[in-house]
Amino acid sequence: MNALKFFAAVAAAVLFHFLGVRLVPHFSEVIDVFLVVVALHGLKGNSLSALFAGMFIGLVHDSLSGGPFGLFGFADTIIGYGAARLAQRLVIQRATGVLALVSFATVAQQAIVVGLALLLLPTPEVPNPVWVAVRAGACGLLAMSIHIASAHWRRTSEARRRGRMSRLRLS
Amino acid sequence: MDERRTGWVLIIVLAGQLVYLALQGARAGNTLLESLGLRLLGPAARTVANLPQDVAGLGEGMRTRSSLLDENRRLRREVEDLRLRLLQLNDVQGEALRLGAAVRHASPPLGRIRAVDVVYADHASWLRTLVIYAGDRPAVVNQPVLSANGLVGRVVTVAGPYAKVQLITDRAASVGAMILRTRRQGIVRGSGRGSGTIELDFVPLQADVRPGDAVQTAGIDGVYPRGIPIGTVTSVNQGGQLFHSIQLAPAVDFGSLDQVYLLDYEPVPQELRETAPHERP
Repeated sequence: MNALKFFAAVAAAVLFHFLGVRLVPHFSEVIDVFLVVVALHGLKGNSLSALFAGMFIGLVHDSLSGGPFGLFGFADTIIGYGAARLAQRLVIQRATGVLALVSFATVAQQAIVVGLALLLLPTPEVPNPVWVAVRAGACGLLAMSIHIASAHWRRTSEARRRGRMSRLRLS
Repeated sequence: MDERRTGWVLIIVLAGQLVYLALQGARAGNTLLESLGLRLLGPAARTVANLPQDVAGLGEGMRTRSSLLDENRRLRREVEDLRLRLLQLNDVQGEALRLGAAVRHASPPLGRIRAVDVVYADHASWLRTLVIYAGDRPAVVNQPVLSANGLVGRVVTVAGPYAKVQLITDRAASVGAMILRTRRQGIVRGSGRGSGTIELDFVPLQADVRPGDAVQTAGIDGVYPRGIPIGTVTSVNQGGQLFHSIQLAPAVDFGSLDQVYLLDYEPVPQELRETAPHERP
């Protein structure tokens, strides 16, 4: 069930990314949907699963980017594992905590990708720091929105389930 | 699994990926995983790419008849003008061929173009990409990609009907180019400033270059044939002690590409390009 949810999230991220790039010219500079999925998956706290999820999603992202294949795979593996380890130590209850963590993860991912590019490419191109800051904020906001929406959906479905159970008991 | 073991798994996975990246750098070109990813994601990209076209098609169907008639009239006039220009150019071409034959000049083959759809274009981010759908006749690695306005780039990865294109604005791309007015040759590269501009390198300080000069492919890199427009010189500065620092505005608007052309052109064989001057191929 968890694996199914994960692949559904990846498929949704891919479609969202394609639509975004098609409709907004600077979409991929502003939002990294793949990283948001990696970070939110990592926040569940299972480091082994987060590690492989990060690698998988990173490689999906690599298939769509122009750099060497594996840059995002490497970076997202670290981000997934890091987010999971952090979630094991911290209890993130507030939505703003998710915003801060995902924003930090975005900056960290960009730093890893740039570092690798500097090591591997003869004439690497470095992203504009302003865009990195915008991207960090946008990814954080997106992750926070998803976190709030999923918490709301969980509460609603739980309340509905309880209501159904109580009606059953009465009958 | 306990956290210590997971830590070891992380190290092994990261080391594996680093080795993969390093090996890939050593032999540039198609990688199996990249082709697989492109093959899986290509159909989704194509589906999404077709959505806005359908919406646009609906809107176009609702246009008024009079505006279409106006457009038709304008296009007819344009066709007439172009036919006239074609006749003049045919005359010039015939003359050039006759003169070439007189001195036994063998001109390089021009090749044929075919239109293909762009299914995914990310021209804005610093790792730029263009994914095309070539249909039944797949693209070939290093095949030049053009638009009606000029050079777009070359194919770097092929996965069935899908292919990934390296844009000329990419920092890692390089194109043998020349200034049309003076025939002075240089190398065009992405400027690497994230603005989508390109620059012309290795043009000596004594060479005459002016803003507004048109730059086109020189046909010296073994990948692109001669004569494809690349861009226009926007600024010329003294870069170092030997070469100009020349900025170009690309001829192509990379943000508006929904269809490009693949040039079926026989490039200089790889083994010949890699042969040192003193060796026999």
